[in-house]
Amino acid sequence: MGATVTSFYFLCFLLCVLAVYYISPIRFRRVVILIASIAYYILSGNGLLMVFPVVTTLISWAGVLLMERTEKKKAVLVAVTLLDLLPLIVLKYVNFFINTVNGIAFAASSWTNADPVIPNIALAVPLGISFYTFSALSYTIDFYNGTAEKEKDYLKLLSYVMFFPAVLSGPIRRYRFDAKGLNEGNKLDYHNLTFGAQRMLWGFFKTFVISERMKIISSRIYDTPGVYGGICAITGTVCYAFELYTNFSGCMDIVLGISQMLGYELPENFNTPFFAKSIQEFWRRWHITLGVWMKEYVFYPVLRTKAFTALNDKCKKKYGSKKGKQIANIPALLILWLTVGLWHGGDWKYVIGSGLLHWLYIVCGQLLTPYTDRLLTFLKIKKDAKWLDVLRVIRTFILVNIGFIFFRAHSLGESIQVFGSMFRIHVPVAEFIEKLGEDGLDWIEVGILLISLVVLTVVSVLQQKGSVREMIDKKSLPIRWIIWFALLFFTLLTGYYGPGYSAAEFIYQGF
Amino acid sequence: MTREDILEQVTQIIRDEFEDDELEVSEETTAADVEDWDSLAHISLIHEVERNFDIKFTMGEIQDFRNVGEMIDSIEVHLGQA
Repeated sequence: MGATVTSFYFLCFLLCVLAVYYISPIRFRRVVILIASIAYYILSGNGLLMVFPVVTTLISWAGVLLMERTEKKKAVLVAVTLLDLLPLIVLKYVNFFINTVNGIAFAASSWTNADPVIPNIALAVPLGISFYTFSALSYTIDFYNGTAEKEKDYLKLLSYVMFFPAVLSGPIRRYRFDAKGLNEGNKLDYHNLTFGAQRMLWGFFKTFVISERMKIISSRIYDTPGVYGGICAITGTVCYAFELYTNFSGCMDIVLGISQMLGYELPENFNTPFFAKSIQEFWRRWHITLGVWMKEYVFYPVLRTKAFTALNDKCKKKYGSKKGKQIANIPALLILWLTVGLWHGGDWKYVIGSGLLHWLYIVCGQLLTPYTDRLLTFLKIKKDAKWLDVLRVIRTFILVNIGFIFFRAHSLGESIQVFGSMFRIHVPVAEFIEKLGEDGLDWIEVGILLISLVVLTVVSVLQQKGSVREMIDKKSLPIRWIIWFALLFFTLLTGYYGPGYSAAEFIYQGF
Repeated sequence: MTREDILEQVTQIIRDEFEDDELEVSEETTAADVEDWDSLAHISLIHEVERNFDIKFTMGEIQDFRNVGEMIDSIEVHLGQA
């Protein structure tokens, strides 16, 4: 079975799980979830690597038992955190360390000796390690903070950590909120079943119809970096922003839809992020669960340390409350964004594009705000003018896209190459269009893509007012059927399906 | 110390933190009602409240305060008044 939740085999698997789940007596339903989760993890190609999430969960579970019996709770918390993070650090970052050492050695030899000082180590990384590790860790931390009760049953905790729709690509869960309702055995509910299926369909539409088409354009730019610069590279990057958004948020729609069909509510991961007016707002709308997790479990504890409290006091005394706070927070934000960047992967392109660059945006934004406010007052422009908001949305989108260049390019060097090529004026636009045609994107395909983008935009605008599924549900039966069947047939007819009816792998799967 | 006294002191701390003496604060006030009350400002504010009342919030409390009223609930618990 392919690892992706869009594969035909997975849909068959899901139908079996749903049938067995609702046929089973309520008290056995949690067992069905656990067996399905373990089976899914093994069938996804992980095999023996299943030991990793099982052991990670065991460490978190045993840590809480130990905390109950000792006064040294903090020492246990530190030990559990380190043990839980150890496989993640070793498996995901050891080659990052090696490559960095090799890079420094290469630079030290005046760029002449390209032989690596230390060879890379071939490691099998369990899929979804960054997602399940954080979900498991939150259990121990929540218990330590006094916000979660002890879970006596290890298997119940394992069900939560390995819950099959979310184990490979998130959302990242916080135990005190997201473990509820999973092990109780949910009753069959028509509303949950239909709404869940509708959400899955919307996810399929985003992934198969939009993301896979956008990929053709972005791949042409990023697989041959620097060949097509100027407007072509800019177009390729904007298309990548939509490819990534529709791929990741589409995956989340499917995951949350499956979960809803099982009567279990997972946290939302996206809220129309491209409507954000600032970088901070963008991160409250994009990969929401990562931001919330980092804020609560990394950022707050860092800010509560004695060192940062003292720095905050000192800066506030020197520069006043508002400005002092901002200055004191610069190093705390650096730690946060470094962690966010590293979470995305052991590569400098992630550390810079998904971490440090956003740190720089936020710090510059905070420091420049008093000056831009003064400029607006001088020009007699109202701060809350609608047209200014539109400009803010465009600015944020451009800044975010610069980060995506690093995310998409194969290496840090190639991202700089693509970024540099964007400033070229004379570019072979006709050849680029011709190549896209050869790649399968003819004018009919472009037409389908544009129609789909209009649908996506209309739905995104409507989402600002509430749940679109609820809105449709209030319409008369024929209208509801026309809408959902139109979406179903449009997705079936125009979707890009690969072997096993599977889309290419989800970009965030396996992080 | 009455609940009103606590609210009065918390209001003053919030005004000092955000350098805005006009700020209206009630038990229903949330971070979304005050410009610049982001996660950074939140921890700094918490720190000032702790210092003022000579108490220490748990991380769980800090994470889950939904409004000023809930913060006052916790202050009362720590002061042994609840």
